[in-house]
Amino acid sequence: MNSAATIDVLLAIASLVLATYVTRAGMLLVGDRLSLSRHVEAALRFAPACALTALVLPEVLGPSGSLDLSLANARWPAALASATFLLWRNNMLGGIAIGMAVYTLIALFKLGGLS
Amino acid sequence: MRRLWDDPAWRAEFDRGAREMLPAFPGILAWGLVTGIAMVKSGLSVPLALLMSLLAYAGSAQLAALPLIAASAPAWVIALTALATNMRFVIYGAAMRRWLTQYSVRRLSLLGYLSGDFSFVMFMNRLAKEGPFENRDAWLFGVTAMNWLIWQVASIAGIVGGAFIPTSWGLQFAGTLALLPLVMPSVRSWAGATGALAAGSVSLAGSAWPYKSGLLAGVVVGITVATVVDSFTGGGTEARS
Repeated sequence: MNSAATIDVLLAIASLVLATYVTRAGMLLVGDRLSLSRHVEAALRFAPACALTALVLPEVLGPSGSLDLSLANARWPAALASATFLLWRNNMLGGIAIGMAVYTLIALFKLGGLS
Repeated sequence: MRRLWDDPAWRAEFDRGAREMLPAFPGILAWGLVTGIAMVKSGLSVPLALLMSLLAYAGSAQLAALPLIAASAPAWVIALTALATNMRFVIYGAAMRRWLTQYSVRRLSLLGYLSGDFSFVMFMNRLAKEGPFENRDAWLFGVTAMNWLIWQVASIAGIVGGAFIPTSWGLQFAGTLALLPLVMPSVRSWAGATGALAAGSVSLAGSAWPYKSGLLAGVVVGITVATVVDSFTGGGTEARS
């Protein structure tokens, strides 16, 4: 991956700051003028998992742009192992360690395939 | 702030909050390190990574933004993705609001900016145990200031240290793996699982669409599916315990 252009990264950082401040401080500041209905609250509850899955799945199943379920793509077995472990124990460190171990092992076996 | 700081009762609650945050040290340290390393390994220069860490202070949203920045996604797509990732804070804020109505806009702005997953869980636990205690703002400032400090030290260590690690080790992938623990708990309900599956499938199918619109479409479809399934299963139904 190339270094992204500085101005684009600065814009991205500004977007992150704004999105974080609005979501974190927003309800503390205007919460009494805004009550959440049951449906809105349900939608809010599911938003993070949906956003993160929408982001992670293409990164894992098709890092080169299209679906790749061969072992040339070491990411999907690694993520599968990590997710299986997390279903059993919700321990972030263990999940990362197992995922990276599987990822590195597969990459080592086929040499130079890390992406 | 100056007058509060000189009030011994306020200081005592601040110190107590900071102390009660300490057991979370190893977890925050590890996540901060991974985020710091992932930032430099996905192509950010060290100064820009430091700037992002110090200003954005949003672990999951930062990790979510990295592949988008690397793919030169427009800023509004990054903002929308970060908004969706951060939606849990809106729910936290709605739950905390009624206990914090007496404080000024300025104080609440700072508290909001500093607050996160830990401070919310710890605050609700303490309220459940002790009821509305005195100087809640001081205790929350103690918790969140300590959280901020540990996070920044770890993240900066990751940024500086990560610059010496070869990119070929693939450590930017650890940033993707660090997002999985945030997904897995909600996948345990039918609504969460179907929503996440729909979101991921649409996003994957649309991964070549311009402006990362496949990702955004995935989020919208996922939330819709989850909400519909949730209304059928009646909210709390678990797929498995």
